[in-house]
Amino acid sequence: MSTLAFYPGCLVLQRMPEYELATRAVLSTLGIELETVQEAVCCGSPVAESFTADWIYLSAYNLALIERMGHDTVVTICGGCTNSLARTARALQDPAVLSEANRRLAQFGLTVAGRVTPKHLVRLLTERLDDLRARIVRPLSLQVAVTTPCQALRPDDVMGFGDDPLEPQSIRRLVRLTGAEVLDYPGENECCGATLYLADSTLSLKAGRRKLEAVQEADALLLGCGNCQLLLRRFQRFIIRDRPSLRKRALFLPQLLGLALGLPEESLGLRKGVWLR
Amino acid sequence: MTALAHPQECLQCGLCVTVCPVEMVGGHAIVTFMADPTATDFSVWLCTSCWRCQESCPGGIDIYGLMMAWRRQESDTAPEGYRVAFEHILAHGQAMAVSQEELDQMRAAWGLEPVRLPPPDVARRLLTPSPAVR
Ligand code: SF4
Ligand code: SF4
Repeated sequence: MSTLAFYPGCLVLQRMPEYELATRAVLSTLGIELETVQEAVCCGSPVAESFTADWIYLSAYNLALIERMGHDTVVTICGGCTNSLARTARALQDPAVLSEANRRLAQFGLTVAGRVTPKHLVRLLTERLDDLRARIVRPLSLQVAVTTPCQALRPDDVMGFGDDPLEPQSIRRLVRLTGAEVLDYPGENECCGATLYLADSTLSLKAGRRKLEAVQEADALLLGCGNCQLLLRRFQRFIIRDRPSLRKRALFLPQLLGLALGLPEESLGLRKGVWLR
Repeated sequence: MTALAHPQECLQCGLCVTVCPVEMVGGHAIVTFMADPTATDFSVWLCTSCWRCQESCPGGIDIYGLMMAWRRQESDTAPEGYRVAFEHILAHGQAMAVSQEELDQMRAAWGLEPVRLPPPDVARRLLTPSPAVR
């Protein structure tokens, strides 16, 4: 058993407990326990950065908490959080930024050295592909439409883990392990438009509608980000108000993997009998 | 939006516009201005932070950085969604307000271990420059 730090981010922490549950269930089959960062602050993405260049000190605080826990890897499951933590870790390589961060952290009795690597679940699982493959016991017959957590992959020079930043393959590879098929659809690699909601809800719902229309052939949407879930699942009722037939179910990536790993539906935050027949 | 100096390295190839998801639904984010510096029908607040433009840009332009700097300069034009979310972060250290009690109840119902929320003023304190550089 190894233990890694876990930063759910406020969106997942407050609104998507099933995503955390399924993540924990899948990782524990691989011998990985997650220790949640206590008293973590919101990463601020993309809001804080829009108002202040000092936004990095929010993530610097979170990285300091993780260092104090004695971890050098933190697992994330939301695109925005991954991006903020990774860009901050990069920024802390500048000695001037690092010392300002430590001055600000002193009031909390914290220090940061900048040695933590944030890893989105997709990246962590991609590193354990063979391990996962060996544990698949319940091949699924299902077709899913993948939505990519864009901010977990770009900018590639900071986030890069060997995947193509514009046409990423890692989630597709993980899905195929389960026996499920991946639907090819126009716009697969485009952002869902969730963040647009903060500025223009009509345009954001229009972007969501575009996605939903393109994935109609699939049995379900496959999500790897809290923001995508928010727009495409939670706000789906607003998107399809005039055309209820567009309704589409959704699964988080670890829920799909968990089913194929033979884990009980309840342990993945899924209702019994909906996905397995 | 007030004018921003157009980066010299921009080739005005328009690639950023073609990959932008906001453009695809008829909105205009900062990339409109990149491809055409005379454009006025765009808002720097419409970007979804997907980084596709920057990843595609043959000029290697830090489009995202420019956009964020521009937002800060025009923070009085921020849409309500952005303003409210920032106020929440400053007041609670979280993008959405939730009490420790509510969170404890929700996590217990899901069989998840409790998680402690941060001190409410944590973001405000972190975003205040340290005395040494003030
Ligand atoms: S892709 Fe880059 S070089 Fe081309 S118009 Fe956009 S900003 Fe300019
Ligand atoms: S980062 Fe913003 S401007 Fe660039 S492609 Fe994405 S939504 Fe458009």
